[in-house]
Amino acid sequence: MSGSPLMSLGIKAMNANFAALQTTGNNIANANVAGYSRQQVELSTAPGQFTGSGYFGRGVNVDTVSRSHDALLAREAMGAKSLSAMDAARLSQLNRLELIFKPGESGLGHAVNQFLNSMVDVSSRPGDGSARQVVLSRAGEMTARFNAAGAAISELQAGVTSDIRAAVADTNALTQGIAQANDRIASVRGLGQPANDLLDERDRLIARLGEKFQLSQIAAADGTVGIFISGGQRLVLGSQVSKLVVTQDESNPAAVAVGVQDGPNVRLLQDKSLGGGAVAGLLRFQNRDLVDGANLIGRLAASVGSAVNTQQQRGLSLKPQGAEGAPLMFGLGAGFGAAGSQRALPHAQNVRGPAGPLGSVSFTITDPAVLQASDYQIEVTAGVASIRRLPDGSSSPVADGDVVDGVKISFGAIGPQEGDRFLLRPVGRAALDMTRLMDDPRDLAAASALVATMAATNTGTGRVGGLTVTAVPLPFPGQTETITFNRLLPAQVVDGVAYNFTTTSSLNGVPVPWNAGTPVRGANGFEIQIEGVPGEGDVLSVQPTPVSAIGSNNGNVNAMLALRDAALVDGQTATDAYALAMSDVGVRVQAGRTAADLSGAVADQARAVLGSATGVNLDEEAARLIQFQQNYQAAAKMLQVAQTLFDVLLQTAGR
Amino acid sequence: MRINTAQSFDAAISQLQKRQNAMIESQLQLTSGKRIQKASDDPASAARAERAMAAMTRSDANMRGLDVSRSMTMFTEAALGDAGELLQQAREVMVGAGNGSYSDADRKSLAAKLSGLRTDLLSVANRSDGAGRYLFAGQGSNTPPLVDGPNGVVYVGSIGQLQASAGEAATLSFDGDQAWLRAPDPANPGATLSVFDVMDRLVMELNTAGRTGAVISQSVTTGLRDIDTVSGNLSSARSRAGEALVRADGIETRLSQSKLDAQTERSKAEDLDMVAAISDFQARQTGYDAALRTYAIVQRMSLMDYVK
Repeated sequence: MSGSPLMSLGIKAMNANFAALQTTGNNIANANVAGYSRQQVELSTAPGQFTGSGYFGRGVNVDTVSRSHDALLAREAMGAKSLSAMDAARLSQLNRLELIFKPGESGLGHAVNQFLNSMVDVSSRPGDGSARQVVLSRAGEMTARFNAAGAAISELQAGVTSDIRAAVADTNALTQGIAQANDRIASVRGLGQPANDLLDERDRLIARLGEKFQLSQIAAADGTVGIFISGGQRLVLGSQVSKLVVTQDESNPAAVAVGVQDGPNVRLLQDKSLGGGAVAGLLRFQNRDLVDGANLIGRLAASVGSAVNTQQQRGLSLKPQGAEGAPLMFGLGAGFGAAGSQRALPHAQNVRGPAGPLGSVSFTITDPAVLQASDYQIEVTAGVASIRRLPDGSSSPVADGDVVDGVKISFGAIGPQEGDRFLLRPVGRAALDMTRLMDDPRDLAAASALVATMAATNTGTGRVGGLTVTAVPLPFPGQTETITFNRLLPAQVVDGVAYNFTTTSSLNGVPVPWNAGTPVRGANGFEIQIEGVPGEGDVLSVQPTPVSAIGSNNGNVNAMLALRDAALVDGQTATDAYALAMSDVGVRVQAGRTAADLSGAVADQARAVLGSATGVNLDEEAARLIQFQQNYQAAAKMLQVAQTLFDVLLQTAGR
Repeated sequence: MRINTAQSFDAAISQLQKRQNAMIESQLQLTSGKRIQKASDDPASAARAERAMAAMTRSDANMRGLDVSRSMTMFTEAALGDAGELLQQAREVMVGAGNGSYSDADRKSLAAKLSGLRTDLLSVANRSDGAGRYLFAGQGSNTPPLVDGPNGVVYVGSIGQLQASAGEAATLSFDGDQAWLRAPDPANPGATLSVFDVMDRLVMELNTAGRTGAVISQSVTTGLRDIDTVSGNLSSARSRAGEALVRADGIETRLSQSKLDAQTERSKAEDLDMVAAISDFQARQTGYDAALRTYAIVQRMSLMDYVK
């Protein structure tokens, strides 16, 4: 009986255990490499040799080195990571947006309040140049804050644009890498052994790509993997790559969009269909949150600025002024007041004429107090133009000259064409465009244009409570209007309301039904609140403020102060509007944080599950080291035994 | 389940960082005393605090308006007091003019005295606050509101009165026309008397020579009655000024109260509950401490240590 089968058994066993030790060593070496999959040696029993006494085992074979891989877990981990990357990207931008909506003394709301409150000192000292100068300084300060907020929003857009460009450049590099890995994997497939490290490398690239875009993978028979995004857009197929490009958004030139290059054309991806990934988060922030933020700030600037301008025009400044009223305090850019109309932005696909888009649409702001913090889209389908408040408003028909939410829409000489789309941003730029027009403190219209007095001979208790000018220019400039109160006995019922008085203006002689407690409306464009009840035949006289009184009258500046409590911003005061805008953004950040925490935890969990299936545990490897080392020692012992047997045989034979 | 060693280190480190962050956040809140640093910390409370802050600055501004109203009213009240004294002197002059033993020359010198008092009265009526604002400017006047005209003193200000901006009705100027030129005449219902017309008439009458005792005594009687009438009208203006001052005190109380309320509201909305915050901080500190200790124990353990 020779010792050689034993020798060969021992050698095989030593080989197998050495291979296992080597693999364990490799595992230990790569324990901290991200994306490394634990490898193990696959052993099998060599078929036994048949003899008359049965089968004798012929030891162990090393079949292959396999990696611990679980495609399902890997896909789950990547999907979770995509969502978490989307939420994290949006959250980090939202955190920056929130800095624009600061609470307290450093916030915009405070600047608006400080500006309006500074009018108190002009009200106390209408002729005092320094009090007027303080108002101008506060107006300048408020304007600067709005400008800074507008600029910060532009910077956020620039940041989003560069982040998206960087992510798309990364994506293109990653898809290139995946295609190359596909190529190499396919080429070594013929060798019959899995290319573990190449597969790991490709998985790592795919995982990184998954952070940018949510993707789906389809494995091909040749070992390559196809990568698709946005519900079927091909990025990688075998060694073929489709490039992603960043382009201008078709409807809003300030924003960017991502598309797939397809020959000479670019197929744009919709942010809604992207599903997850950092790029989807950035696009969603750009198209929703940033637009809303800009509109909230812009609407506040537009409403406050316009209301002050309107009140300013109704009063008298210290300098001679024309019929158009006192000079404006704020400029708010195209669309507002004297600045003319603003052009609506034509969609890139609109019908084109020889010189750019054929149709055109423009708009002006007619009622700043009802402006919405929204963009609008006008589109023409089947010959009917309709307008929709973005992003989710319902659509309603619109015609040339219609007023929607305080915005008057005008179609150009050539109106919108079939299939055209136009984007209207009534307030989006107002904060950025706001300027303080007034430089001379004497231009502040502190004095009321009209003063009212009850005649000394009146018999009733009616007193002048407050006068508000409602028309610029006045319908009867320079004229004194007397209003006579006459009792109605019995009361006259008009539209279900019983009236006890008529008021008759000297300017038109028309008796108007009136009740105590309601404002008296004069023919000369004003409203007067009467306190008490006038007697029969009592006379109220309203005359232009005498030149000698302009320097010390404070009627109009008191009306400006009343703007603090007026519903300037879509039914809210400026303070409420800012507080709401601030909490709106705060809620978004909170929700964004919750979403990011949640999806982050899910992603961590999925990664941990994947890691426990495919990663390295050093204690396990240490145990394996001992296991294989002992086995190796045992195999070596077999050789020793075989040699001893052989030696015994030789000694015996040699005698 | 197999623990992935590298990931278990990562997870432990990220947990430690989270705990450290939470502790630092607690510490920041404690040092600033504010629960809300940005709107997302608590959007509803941030909005509440914002409104409360606006109310506070509003109260401050209104208080400034009220201070001016009060000082103007105090000046006015003092001016009307001075006017009352001057009229009292005029009354004494008139009482003296009734003396039957006075000659025309004596009455002329009394007339000169009255004329001096009239000048004083006009300057009181045109008194300013020292900063160019006339106390009796009505709804506004850049120049002295009462001026001598061909038919006596007329009012060139704008009739009525200005309101200060103090959140409630507070007077900023008085109606000089009403106070000085429009005293209701009890002897002649519907008609009014002007302080200056009365003085002018009396000066003229005292200057008229060769009048009989009966006429003079009639002049003195009607003169005293008219002086009392216009004096009474100025007194009632003075008492209106006094009321305005009392009202200003009331407004001040309400403004201070509303500012205090707003402060309380703001503090409730955004200030930190120190007791809760300190106990929170201690809990987080304990948590971080425990995390560090267990990390040191667990992550140090390795099979390699036992395989010798």
